[in-house]
Amino acid sequence: MTETTPQHLPSLSRRRRLLDGATRHVVGAGGVAVICAIALIMGYLIWVIVPMLAPSSIQHIASHELSVSHTLHVATDDTFETATLIGSDGIVEFRDTENFETVQESRITEGEIESVKAIFPTSDTYAARVDNQGLLFFKIAHVVRFLGEERRIENSATTLFEDSTIDLQDVVEYDVYRSDTTLRVALLHADGSLVVQEYADVDDYFELEEPRELDLPPWNGAVENTQIIIGPRGRWLFEIDTSNGEYRLLDIASIRRVGQVIEGSLAPEESQFISATPVLGRYSFLVAYESGQLAHWSLTPSENGTNLERIREFSYREPIPKLVTEHRRKGFLAIDRDGLAHLGYTTSHRTLAKINLQQLPKVIEFSPRADRLIAVHEDSIEVYKVTNKHPEISWSTLWGKVWYEGYEEPVHSWQSSSADTDFEPKFSLTPLLFGTIKAAFYAMLVATPLAIMGAIYTAVFMSPGMRKFIKPGIEIMAALPTVILGFLAGLWLAPIVETHLTSILLLLIVLPLGVLICAFLTTFLPRVVSARFDGWYAALSVPILVVLAYLTLTNDAWLSNLIFGMDAKMWFYEKAGIDYDQRNALVIGIAMGLAVIPTIFSISEDAIYGVPQHLVHGSLALGATRWQTLVRVVLLTASPGIFSAVMIGLGRAVGETMIVLMATGNTPIMDVNIFQGMRTFAANIAVEMPESEVGSTHFRILFLTAFVLFALTFLFNTIAEVVRQRLRSRYGNL
Amino acid sequence: METSEKLPQDSGAFHRQRVGIGSWFKSGDPWIWLTATAVGACIVAVLGLLGLIAFKGLAHFWPADVVTIDYEGDSGRFRVAGEVVQREFIGRDQYLEANSNATAIEGDQVERWMIKSGNRKINAPDFRWVYRHEIVQQRKDRDMIVFERTEWGNAYGKLVDVKEHGQSISFDDPWVELRQRIERVSDLRGQARRIQKGSINRINYRLEKLRLEKRSRELKGVLDHTEIENERERLNAEYVVEEQRLRNIMNQLERDEVVVQIADGRTSTVPLRDIIRAWQPNQMSLWSKLGHYFSSIWIFLSQESREANTEGGVFPALFGTVLMVLLMSVLVTPFGVVAALYLREYAKQGPFVQLIRIAVNNLAGVPSIVYGVFGLGFFVYLVGGSIDDLFFEAAQPAPTFGTPGLMWASLTLALLTVPVVIVSTEEGLTRIPSELREGSLALGATKAETMFKIILPMASPSILTGIILAIARAAGEVAPLMLVGVVKLAPTLPIDGNFPFLHLDRKFMHLGFHIYDLGFQSPNVDAARPLVFATAFLLVLIIVALNLTAITLRNRLEARYRGAML
Repeated sequence: MTETTPQHLPSLSRRRRLLDGATRHVVGAGGVAVICAIALIMGYLIWVIVPMLAPSSIQHIASHELSVSHTLHVATDDTFETATLIGSDGIVEFRDTENFETVQESRITEGEIESVKAIFPTSDTYAARVDNQGLLFFKIAHVVRFLGEERRIENSATTLFEDSTIDLQDVVEYDVYRSDTTLRVALLHADGSLVVQEYADVDDYFELEEPRELDLPPWNGAVENTQIIIGPRGRWLFEIDTSNGEYRLLDIASIRRVGQVIEGSLAPEESQFISATPVLGRYSFLVAYESGQLAHWSLTPSENGTNLERIREFSYREPIPKLVTEHRRKGFLAIDRDGLAHLGYTTSHRTLAKINLQQLPKVIEFSPRADRLIAVHEDSIEVYKVTNKHPEISWSTLWGKVWYEGYEEPVHSWQSSSADTDFEPKFSLTPLLFGTIKAAFYAMLVATPLAIMGAIYTAVFMSPGMRKFIKPGIEIMAALPTVILGFLAGLWLAPIVETHLTSILLLLIVLPLGVLICAFLTTFLPRVVSARFDGWYAALSVPILVVLAYLTLTNDAWLSNLIFGMDAKMWFYEKAGIDYDQRNALVIGIAMGLAVIPTIFSISEDAIYGVPQHLVHGSLALGATRWQTLVRVVLLTASPGIFSAVMIGLGRAVGETMIVLMATGNTPIMDVNIFQGMRTFAANIAVEMPESEVGSTHFRILFLTAFVLFALTFLFNTIAEVVRQRLRSRYGNL
Repeated sequence: METSEKLPQDSGAFHRQRVGIGSWFKSGDPWIWLTATAVGACIVAVLGLLGLIAFKGLAHFWPADVVTIDYEGDSGRFRVAGEVVQREFIGRDQYLEANSNATAIEGDQVERWMIKSGNRKINAPDFRWVYRHEIVQQRKDRDMIVFERTEWGNAYGKLVDVKEHGQSISFDDPWVELRQRIERVSDLRGQARRIQKGSINRINYRLEKLRLEKRSRELKGVLDHTEIENERERLNAEYVVEEQRLRNIMNQLERDEVVVQIADGRTSTVPLRDIIRAWQPNQMSLWSKLGHYFSSIWIFLSQESREANTEGGVFPALFGTVLMVLLMSVLVTPFGVVAALYLREYAKQGPFVQLIRIAVNNLAGVPSIVYGVFGLGFFVYLVGGSIDDLFFEAAQPAPTFGTPGLMWASLTLALLTVPVVIVSTEEGLTRIPSELREGSLALGATKAETMFKIILPMASPSILTGIILAIARAAGEVAPLMLVGVVKLAPTLPIDGNFPFLHLDRKFMHLGFHIYDLGFQSPNVDAARPLVFATAFLLVLIIVALNLTAITLRNRLEARYRGAML
């Protein structure tokens, strides 16, 4: 088909030759463009996925001299333009991050600040212990203003609650928690008594009112070494004896009385405890040991209430005396005695990058976006650039079981987002893969037998008069929008299946059996009559099916009493412990089965119809019955074609979106039970993609699932196509 | 080829004298019956589904009688009036579960009716179940009126009074008077709509354009805005005039009220401005019911939706679907055809082309949601974002093309359907006997001339088939559109009177997404359900029609070539 154009003919006019050449180029370019566009799809998906694999790094980018040496705390603003240094002299210094020159200064107290803590869970308000004054609260703000085109940052440090302070007489250790309207302060006194104060209706601009107090039972820990930490949502109070790692966990959900009290040790075995640092949200702690190990302990529900459980462990060569955590993720930086810093991530259990800081910094902090590190030494400030976009991802977090914070055990879980900022995203693809396979499995269970049997009958036995209508009919079925099937399945079929469960299950037996009985009865008819049925069995079966289905469905209550003695749903729940979900795999199987049937039907019908006629005639001539010929000759010859039909059907079932989206609950659970729902890759993309932040880990993982889908279906279809091509040449040879 | 069945008629018939179950099974006939049952089941499923959608979708428009029912419930006697929209039986257990203190009932099943009782504002809920055995009395009052309202759904009740400026006025026939006044109101409402959608919309559009122009001048450093300010003043003045006109009409709309007595005896005053139509189904003749039926269908097709899409029509969705599909076919046709021509006529046939062919075939089987993801990432964020940075700097940070919209939806679907066109066109090209090409070339035509004069005309039916199939697929696809441009409620159509008339950056509505949204995101599922069925029926109708066209074309084409070859 690639005949050469008769260019050699001298008569060919210039115009014609130009047109011919132009066409050739346009078609060539167009064709190549389309092919490129197709390649682009795969290329682009990969292009989005690849950054997830990029390695993380820490680089030293700047070093500045520091003239003052009494910095207690350092923080930076969101865009890393201003660094805030809180000094023990009561002065808050704002420095630009370019040259680290002071741009603004603000005094918050005349007294001397002994220590300062960020009020949990905020990142811009602090509680400072001021000499002779007590606990003072202040807030740091960076407001961006535009003066014409000029952008300006106005920094401020202001005290809160009209300079109210909390008395710290005899207090050795404290911690502060604030929700929107309440402030909780835990105070440990020198005599060992522990008190929680709750201030209600707190407002930045009003004085603190009288608190309600809760006295907690005394503890045997050494007071001078005890660290107290208020935990997530202000509900838990941790008391940790830093000399030996013994801890006490108190439930202070109610300010009226203390709930459960559990004691334990963060330093089991012989490893010597160094320190415990809470990870974002304070559901978990990173505990460092003299052995160089770093254990991740998390609040975990257990039989006797909530407890701390060691959920994973990092090992380093040297012990970790200094550890800082990220502000918005569950990442951390662990610095060992020699100043070697390890960038790690709890969920994915990864150590992502290392850098040698030369010495242990006095103060070190992440920037809010965790893209910079700022370390304060005695006489200098060092700035490090952190490139660490997707630390949550590792092969095992994507596919394996992960022990998340607050879980009893390692699980497969997909839970990508939540309203809470301290949320630990759970990116296990296993439940989604499971859901995809489950949905496809049940759909294929319904579709494969029906479609193949239907194809057999249509291709082999059906009279041409009927076949003329069946083929296009099925083709139209293939074109039915899946959104319609999905809505019917979700809104119409699912309630019917729920209320008529017994009869729906019974139909599987009743329908074929009923048709067989009717068919057997036809053999008693005179042969003149019954011979005419040949080729029209399918049409004859329709009224039988309709009547049987109607009878079964309308007598559901009677039938379920007869079989189960009660409502079928109840029976499954009581006898088999199977929970019934209205939108479940059974509904999906039926609805998606219907969507897949036409695909399998058409292709296998073509394959069966294409079996050379002389094979059939030969078999019949040797005395085989019609059925024997069909099974041993026709189906055997056509089996590769049927196989490829099933593969293509499977491809369709795996990627179908709307039906699954509308007819399942879309809960990513792993339960083989047919009466439970699932969430598939495709539905997951449809649900979460619009809300996903561009470039985030979540976004890239959704692209990864799209790529997995692409690859899966591409694989199925390629196998099918190759098999079909072989088949074609085989028919040619027969 | 029109052959008979593959296996000839019942070869076992000879030795079938006496029939026993054993020999019957041996003959294999039961298995054949079973395969037939599979076909039968498919037929039942397809016809059943289509029938169900058609019935439920079409029944929605029929003006059903309003039944007044007295029933004795758990907590006393109630009266409710409305349309019976569903009758069903539920199992005894389910009934007892829902009614713990129910009186003893006989039998395994309980019949219950769903009544659409309307009057959502004063007598919620507007759908309620009534058990058959609790009904004491039911009747059809001839003077029951159904009011279709712009908000709060239908109202059912009897006419008590018609008021003008809050004063009741006596009329000979209040019903006739009411209908005349409703006519007047709908006239006024039409005028108000024309002002809102016409001149006010135009003024707003220009004001926005001015703002963007000013911003882009600022970005260029031009500081003199007097021209723009003058224009803005002028538009604002125009706006005030139009707004005044609108307010006048609104005031006129407020004139009339109607007092209605609802089933439980309470009376309620409904402002006439809210009423779209009113009819008395219980005394309509068959002909007037038919008239009402078709006008309801027309309203469904031609009007915008109301009440979070649960009432009114689907015109914007229909319009959006058609427009998007048209744009898509404009894009897909040249590329699909050119690619097929390249693969079949120009490229050197070999393993590489074969590989591409397989890849193209496979792409047709790639899940549509994958195209959606690609469209969102590549077209919307990458290409659209770049376009915004280059050409729409003034509108930043609000995205123009860097957000899902009509253009990206059409492009994504074009990519999705291009394999369909390629495959179909290639099929057509393969069928053209090579003698024809050779003949043409032998007569001295160039390859391009052969292509334009011989091959393309002969392949045109299969190209057309491909396009129709592509359109049918695109019209029914929802999953990718959810990511690249469809919204549940678009404030404006993508085509309007403002230059450049076709707004490719706008989001649009789509029938398929309409179904999804109505059925699953709607706050009032009971109210939405009939409309979902109607919309589904419309969509099925469009797609089946397109497919039937494609199938007929293909059959004609087959016949034509058979003629040509012999």
